[in-house]
Amino acid sequence: MRRIAVTGIGIIAPTGVGRERVWEALAQGQSGISHIDDFDTSNLKTSIAGVCRDFHPEDFFDERELSRLDRVSQLSIAATAMAIREAGLTNGQLDSYDAGVYLGTGFGGQGSIEEFCGAFFANGRGRRSAIAIPKSMYNASSSNIAIRFKTRGPNITVTTACSSGANAIGQAFHLIRYGHAERMIAGGVDAPITPVVMDAWKEMRVLSTKNDPPERACKPFSANRDGFVLSEGAGIVVLEDLDTARERGAHIHAEVIGYGSTADASHITFPDPDGEAHAMSRALKDASVDAKEIDYINAHGTATKLNDASETEAIKRVFGSRAYEVPVNSIKSMLGHSMGAAGAIEFIATVLAIENQTIPPTINYEEQDPQCDLDYVTSGARTASRSTPISTAMSNSFGFGGNNAVLVARAFVQ
Amino acid sequence: MTREAAESIEDAVKSIIIAELRVDYSQLGPATHLMKDLGADSLDALNIALRLEERFRIKIPDDAIPRFLTVSDIVNGVNEHLSAQ
Repeated sequence: MRRIAVTGIGIIAPTGVGRERVWEALAQGQSGISHIDDFDTSNLKTSIAGVCRDFHPEDFFDERELSRLDRVSQLSIAATAMAIREAGLTNGQLDSYDAGVYLGTGFGGQGSIEEFCGAFFANGRGRRSAIAIPKSMYNASSSNIAIRFKTRGPNITVTTACSSGANAIGQAFHLIRYGHAERMIAGGVDAPITPVVMDAWKEMRVLSTKNDPPERACKPFSANRDGFVLSEGAGIVVLEDLDTARERGAHIHAEVIGYGSTADASHITFPDPDGEAHAMSRALKDASVDAKEIDYINAHGTATKLNDASETEAIKRVFGSRAYEVPVNSIKSMLGHSMGAAGAIEFIATVLAIENQTIPPTINYEEQDPQCDLDYVTSGARTASRSTPISTAMSNSFGFGGNNAVLVARAFVQ
Repeated sequence: MTREAAESIEDAVKSIIIAELRVDYSQLGPATHLMKDLGADSLDALNIALRLEERFRIKIPDDAIPRFLTVSDIVNGVNEHLSAQ
């Protein structure tokens, strides 16, 4: 069976643009959450979000391109360009029916949808446009990536809410493993920080309202957590057959070795630890790895009451007594919840934790919750030692709808 | 139609093209071809037609849009629709 290498990483997050900057911020426990200043939040209970303030679209696109691309396409193309550059791939190597794109998104071109709906509902007085559909459709991002980089193979948009990015990477991994593609651009993207989406989340009572200071709002696994912080971003990886990657002398960040995907089939929003646990077990089985070999778990860890308790329970069901020995962190404490991008960004963080032998902290942890009693890496980043190396790690993503996706990565040893 | 009115239609058409295609005024001559010279596509043509309809309060028939190939095609087309009203 083929082995699959991660040879390129492109990331845009609320803490910065690019792998090096984002990793540095994660390892230092820096938050990317800030007050929203792009629209009026006075009618909302939450006035904070994880906005990618260091992302300047005009660095990547000209004016005409910008008019055609929703922010979600801008983020995904820019992150893809970084991943491809890092992978050292030329256009000729991507211009192939054996190279494809699997991209996860939960909200697609939401900003554009709102703009065009606003025009429509303004009694027909709004500005009409022939690009409303191509700009806002859910598969615009993955299609725009293919158009720009000429990847002619399978091009599929995966939408499973908060696990979209992880499912996209998992599906792309299997596609190469079983010989249906040679090289895949895979990941997740979302740009959901809009007045309509913020208002809708408000009605579900799942957003943190700890607005001041913003960087301390998101408290995964802490007893005083009060919800997630909405954010945006993109995480893209280049995946390819390990032998091909070695032959062309590519740098290999890590290997993807396992993927598990399940549906709770119980409730549209209420999580079920059973479905989550089975996703983890299936990922381990897919990786031919025993639970005791996992050195680190990058949790879904949204900081909602329900998720963190359910995820903790699911980890215990899979790992037994070892659950108390495995470090579990939530980088959402720093980056917020970027919906369809989160699973991809967190997979990238897992790969970088392995590569850098460092586990970023879960920040803002303050009070112990009897339902959340694992080692959440709450006092600063943790560096691996000879006796506790980080060679195999798991990344969990659980989406509304009960869509669970778990990825397993392993250090690449020459 | 007075010469001033004709010029103002031409100017309005050009300003719509400039705004939609993000091109410079200097790139626009009567024979400038929207697709071949300015890189426009069919979606741009539709958006330009929408802006012309709003600006001149006219209705451009669907079958007229594919004939809007050059700047002067559009100016002439708008004139025809205005005089037909």
